[in-house]
Amino acid sequence: MVIMHSGRERAFFLLLIAPAVVVVMVLTVFPVFSVASNSLFDFDYIAGTRELVGFDNYRSILSDRQFLQSIGNTAIFVALAVLLETGVGFAIALLLYKPFRGSRIVSLTAMAPMMLSTMVVSATWRTMFHFDIGVLNSLLERFGLSPVRWLIDPDIALFSIVLVDVWQWTPFAFIILSAALRTLPPEYLEAARIDGSGTLGLLRHIIVPLMASHLLTVAMLRTIDTFRLFSKVYALTGGGPGNATETISYFIYREAFSYFNLGRAGAASMVAFILIAVVALIYIPRLLRENAV
Amino acid sequence: MTATRRSVSVLRGVVITLVLLVTVFPLYWIAITSLKGPREVVLQIPTLFPQVLTLRNYQTVLEARVGGNFLNSLLVTAGSTVLSIYLGFTAAYAIVRHRFRWNFNGIFLVWILVVKILPPIVLAVPLYELFLGMGLVNSRLGLIFVYQVYTLPYALWILVGFLRSVPIEIEEAARIDGASPGQIVALIVAPLSAGGIAATSVFTAIMAWDEFLFALLFTRRPRMFTVPLRIVNYITEYETEWGSLMAIGLLASVPLLLLTAFVYERLTTDFAASLK
Repeated sequence: MVIMHSGRERAFFLLLIAPAVVVVMVLTVFPVFSVASNSLFDFDYIAGTRELVGFDNYRSILSDRQFLQSIGNTAIFVALAVLLETGVGFAIALLLYKPFRGSRIVSLTAMAPMMLSTMVVSATWRTMFHFDIGVLNSLLERFGLSPVRWLIDPDIALFSIVLVDVWQWTPFAFIILSAALRTLPPEYLEAARIDGSGTLGLLRHIIVPLMASHLLTVAMLRTIDTFRLFSKVYALTGGGPGNATETISYFIYREAFSYFNLGRAGAASMVAFILIAVVALIYIPRLLRENAV
Repeated sequence: MTATRRSVSVLRGVVITLVLLVTVFPLYWIAITSLKGPREVVLQIPTLFPQVLTLRNYQTVLEARVGGNFLNSLLVTAGSTVLSIYLGFTAAYAIVRHRFRWNFNGIFLVWILVVKILPPIVLAVPLYELFLGMGLVNSRLGLIFVYQVYTLPYALWILVGFLRSVPIEIEEAARIDGASPGQIVALIVAPLSAGGIAATSVFTAIMAWDEFLFALLFTRRPRMFTVPLRIVNYITEYETEWGSLMAIGLLASVPLLLLTAFVYERLTTDFAASLK
């Protein structure tokens, strides 16, 4: 509801919104334009000069195997993590739908991982992943299995980081999907429970379609978060071994803050912007519909 | 039928146990590692149950002046939360109750969502140069400002949704009674929104407490490190000081767990909606 306002009141609302607008302009609008412009220049950081080079930086990074690998790594990470988190979270939500003795405690425990700070989670898994004296390999050996080179094998390291993210964020999918399940008419899930034979069919034809928009919301939120993956990589592998776990964010970070290639970092940022825009195009209209402007 | 039913319930039991084990084990590992002695931590075969329990790691951590890092994190978290809530609340109220010219409301909200989606590293270079020029690198104030990149869009979006549900009739009545717009916001709308503001503050605070990227880029002096930076520092500097590392980790988690316990009841209901 919007009231018709007099001039004085219009000034009041302008004053009210102005500080937030200024902060948003300075912290986000200005940097986006600045980065877009950076991407067209070649910087000489030591001399402090720059030269307009058009799209050279884009050509340079798009033919750089390291950058392409960082896109590939990010894509694998996002796809696996989002699928597993949403899928496993949904499965657990379905299993815990019917209340049982201790279900509250179980739900509360299942939430714990996402309540830890990301750095604490990363530090813990890093110690558990240790090849020689980590607890995971010790447990594997106890069961007669061979140890895994969790973070030091280039073919495995990325999946180890996926594992950590899945551990930390499946609870998020679980919480949202549990809440969503409880808004469905209970008969559907009761029927699913009693008639064991038809469970899969019911799931596929009734529950999943009803839950589709919630599943999509969870998947999108996790896509946005996993796409920016940085701190776990920083703490677990430093992008290594080789460039096996370098993500787009990590690539931009190194180009900008280790090599001072602000032009290439800018071009990589714009590529990241365009890639995530695909998500934005689905996500933003949905959100605006829900919270009608 | 009953056989299927029984097997479903057995499956349920197995999966629940498995989920609990996988969830709890790392948590258990943090706790016991923080209580192990320095030699036991690096044994070739890690002990699942500590031989000796000691608080030495906590003592070491406290002597290493981690307190300063906790203070930094606390101040930065509190500062960025208060700032976000103030800016977010006033802006959200203006957007909900007033239609600005040139469809500004729509444009502003869409941009807010774009920022929520954008990887923050994209903004890092220009912000670093800007903050360096203003003397806001290596400063808590700088972190409080730069965290608005995450916390302001988040707080604003939730508060817009929340304020839409506040009935306008009360405000209209107050207006007719001669209350000024400022009085209406401060004395009527803000108290009515206290619940929403509290929940938003908690989630904003969690976000700020957890932040790593900008903390890494904007603080170079160890004295100004926040807790997540300090933890990374421990990992990279001392390869196997795991006892102290886990002790810091556990201490760093206490504020988050307290906040979470505070909003637990909201988690399964409002939370689901608020995170969209």
